[in-house]
Amino acid sequence: MTLKVLTVDDSKTIRMIVKKAFKDYDCELTEAENGLEGLEVARQEKPGLIVLDITMPVMNGIEMLGQLKADPELKKIPVIMLTAESGKDNVMQIVKMGVTDYIVKPFKGEQLIERAVKIVSLQLLESKTVEDDHAGRYLKKEGDVRHLVFPDKVNRQIALEMDGFIPKTIEEMTKNNQKKIIVDLRKTVEINVSMIKLIILLIARFSKAGVKYKIVGTESVKTELKSFQETCDLKIDGSIEDALAGLQ
Amino acid sequence: MAQVNMIDLREFIIKSMSEVFDMMLSMSLNVVDESSIIPLNGDKLMGSVSFAGKASGSINIHIGGNFAKTITAKMLGMTTDEIESNEEIHDVIGETSNMVGGSLKSRLCDSGFPCALSIPSVTSGGSFHVESKDWQFHEKILMENNNQFVIVEVFMKAST
Repeated sequence: MTLKVLTVDDSKTIRMIVKKAFKDYDCELTEAENGLEGLEVARQEKPGLIVLDITMPVMNGIEMLGQLKADPELKKIPVIMLTAESGKDNVMQIVKMGVTDYIVKPFKGEQLIERAVKIVSLQLLESKTVEDDHAGRYLKKEGDVRHLVFPDKVNRQIALEMDGFIPKTIEEMTKNNQKKIIVDLRKTVEINVSMIKLIILLIARFSKAGVKYKIVGTESVKTELKSFQETCDLKIDGSIEDALAGLQ
Repeated sequence: MAQVNMIDLREFIIKSMSEVFDMMLSMSLNVVDESSIIPLNGDKLMGSVSFAGKASGSINIHIGGNFAKTITAKMLGMTTDEIESNEEIHDVIGETSNMVGGSLKSRLCDSGFPCALSIPSVTSGGSFHVESKDWQFHEKILMENNNQFVIVEVFMKAST
C-alpha cells in the first residue's frame, strides 16, 4: 500500500532532499511550508509519516507537534523531527513531546530512510521506467477517466517529466478505448510560462489523438489563465464533478 | 569567559562546514592559509545566522555566485542550467548557514551558554561589506573546493 509522507519544512532545499530520499519507494509525498499549513494537510491527507522541521515561521515544529498530539485523529501518526540543533536540551524537549525519532541536519537521504524503515513499512518501487515513475507522480485513474494532477508550480524539469509520459499514456488510453482525461489544476499556486507552454502542448496532443479532455481549476487559476493570450479561451470547470459530467 | 574560550571556535567551524559539505553535497572542503584571504570578486552571496543569549554573535558565510550555483545544483540534484531562480540558490545558502549556526548553537548550549538562533538571512550583490561591533572572539576561515572559495566569519561575545 502506498505510504503517504508529509514533509513540513520552510526550506525548499530540505523538502527536495526528503523527496529525493523517498523516490525509490512506493510513497505519495505532500509538503507544507510551516506548521499551520502542515496541520491542514495532515488533517486532509492523514499521512502515514510526517517529517517535521522545528524552526519555521507562522507555526514552528514544536507547536505543530503539540497540536498533532492533541488531535485524536492525528496523534498516532509517527513523526520524524528534523533539527539543525543537536543540543541535549533541544533533543530532550522533542523526545518528551512524543516525537517518534529525530534526525540532525546535515543528513543524507539514506539516513532518513534508515530511520523511516524502523517506524513504517516502506516498499521499494518495482523496477519501472523513468516515465512510469513520473506518471505515478502526476497521473491517477478513476474508473475510465485519467486525472492529470498538476503540482503547485511547474518548472522546466516538471514540464519535461509530465510531457515525457503523456505519449505512452495516450497510447494506453487509445488501446483500452478510455480516451477521457481531466487536467486538474486545483493545486496550482503559480501560473508561469512553463505551465502555459505545457498546457498548450498537452491540449495539442489530446486533440491530435482524439482524447476528450476537461480542465479543472480554482477561481484564481481561471482568472490568471484568462490573462494569457494562449489560454484566455480555455474553458475551465470549477469542480471534478462538472468535468466528469462534461466528459459523458 | 574562560569557558567560552574552551570552545575551539576555529576547529569547530571547520568541522561543521566540512560536515555540511560532505553530507549534503559529497564535497570536501580544504582550509586555505588565512594570509591568502582575498575578497571574493564579482557577484557574491552571504548567508547569515545570529545567536543571542549567554553567548551572542553571528556566523556569516560568504560565497561567490558561481560556487553558490554549483552547490545549489548539487544539493538539489540538478545541473546549474536547471536552476530556475535565485530563490533556490538563496534557500540553499540560507539552509547551509542554518545548519552551521545550529551546530554552533548546540555546542554553546551544551557548554553552559544557552542561546537562541535567528532565522537565516541571505544578502546578495556585487559589492558589500559587513561589520560587527564589540565582539570578543572572531574567526575568519577561507575554505575551498576545486578552486572555488567560501569564507566563513564568526563574531562572538559572552554576556557578562
